[in-house]
Amino acid sequence: MADELDNIEEFEAKDTSNKLPVGWLILFWGLIAWGIIYFAAYTPAISGWSQAKAFEESTEKQTR
Amino acid sequence: MNTYHYDNQTVKSFIISSIFWGVVGIVVGLWISIQMWAPSWNVAPFFTFGRLRVVHTNSLAFGLGVGAIFGISYYILMRLTKRPLLFPRLARFHLYLFNAAIALAALSLFAGMNQSLEYAELEWPLDIGVVILWVIFAVNVFGTLVKRKEEQMYISLWYIIATVVAVAVLYIVNNLSVPAGLFKSYSMFAGVNSANVQWWYGHNAVGFVFTTPILAMFYYFLPKSTGLPIYSHRLSIVAFWSLVFAYLWTGAHHLVYTPLPDWIQTLAIVFTIFLIAPSWGSVINGFYTVAPEWEQMRTNYLTKFFILGITFYGLQTVQGPTQGLRVVSQLIHYTDWVPGHVHMGTLGWVTMTVTASMYYIIPKIYDTEIYSVKVANTHFYLVLVGQLIFSITMWITGIQQGALWKAVNPDGTLQYSFMEGLIKNYPFWQMRTAGGVIFTIGMLYFIYNIFMTIRKGSALEASTAKGV
Repeated sequence: MADELDNIEEFEAKDTSNKLPVGWLILFWGLIAWGIIYFAAYTPAISGWSQAKAFEESTEKQTR
Repeated sequence: MNTYHYDNQTVKSFIISSIFWGVVGIVVGLWISIQMWAPSWNVAPFFTFGRLRVVHTNSLAFGLGVGAIFGISYYILMRLTKRPLLFPRLARFHLYLFNAAIALAALSLFAGMNQSLEYAELEWPLDIGVVILWVIFAVNVFGTLVKRKEEQMYISLWYIIATVVAVAVLYIVNNLSVPAGLFKSYSMFAGVNSANVQWWYGHNAVGFVFTTPILAMFYYFLPKSTGLPIYSHRLSIVAFWSLVFAYLWTGAHHLVYTPLPDWIQTLAIVFTIFLIAPSWGSVINGFYTVAPEWEQMRTNYLTKFFILGITFYGLQTVQGPTQGLRVVSQLIHYTDWVPGHVHMGTLGWVTMTVTASMYYIIPKIYDTEIYSVKVANTHFYLVLVGQLIFSITMWITGIQQGALWKAVNPDGTLQYSFMEGLIKNYPFWQMRTAGGVIFTIGMLYFIYNIFMTIRKGSALEASTAKGV
């Protein structure tokens, strides 16, 4: 059978094999940056935010 | 030559087994979708929703999914390492054991034996069987890899390795339990720890059963069936390592607004949102690969399957992470939105890619062509429409459900009773069943096509054997 073995070269584009698209790199680093900010904002030990406090605030708003 | 023939038979049998369990799972899926709006379809005790639902998930995730993963991974492995499997007879034993395990699993679930851990329902004797199965798979994968005749390892092999390693760790840890008799056990974890371990497992079952092995297939069969090389090897590798690094941290996004410590929830959300990047690395790599010859979407039926598959993967990997955010989770979590999301992944991405891979493999094994491209195209459009109906109806009713649950009167009491919200689901549940029927008909076209190809191939094989 002709298809039994594969040449790895056939799977790789010659000219673009090492490219990382700029748009994708922006997404990649952007999400890491966002993650750091989000982690700081929603971690009780860093920002003081907590699920319980957020809940209390929301019910206070509701009953007012 | 003979060894390849022997191994190909093992691959083919795995594919047929996985199709068989797929039929069981899909029929049960249709059944439970009817039970949602017609309770009389519950037949106690064996055919109630509680028992059938786990038969549905287990036979599709582990029967259709893992069966296909075993067979197709072996196929890819041989071709990329340029050698037959290192232990061909072990692979054959693996096949028999796999079918026995799935059959026993289905029976035990019908009988109501259940650890009450989602996707880890099987009781401890079956867990041991699954571990043995997995060890056999690992021995053959790593053995063949070590003895490979091609030095460079293509990206598909990395995805297979990740699958083997991650599933082993996840499965063993979440199933740690103290047996109390042959059919009953108690989990080693309790309370919030149990929830955390369970969803670390549950979410990564999605990651390492429905994502990494399917990407291995995608990266292998897309270039093979289009004749086009993968756009960027580097992008595929960077996406691989960032995906496997991030995935294992994300399970706790299933536990937003629970007693799980806030910082663990937040950390999981951060990694979950980050996962968009590696996922989309594979998506754009797929699009850019086909970009030089977009006309293949019309001329080559397999291109259509793979590109639509990776498109649904792309949509899934934006929708999924978004659901992890607190603001979204509080509206849609615990509603019917969630099965809508899940089935875009399983019907749109996984089944699309797996069936296309089978369309590629079966004719290749017999050195022939697919029985009918026309039937394959009918299959394609039916499963596409069926899946879209399923997902979209569930998203609509999920948002509606969430909104009704959250609606409160000025004095803080609930505006709608649970029953009022439930009744509003009925038309959508009925439409979902209709979508499921359309999807099932599409799958019947697929099965017909595969079996006619096998028949054609066997006849061809018999005639060449006679000629020699």
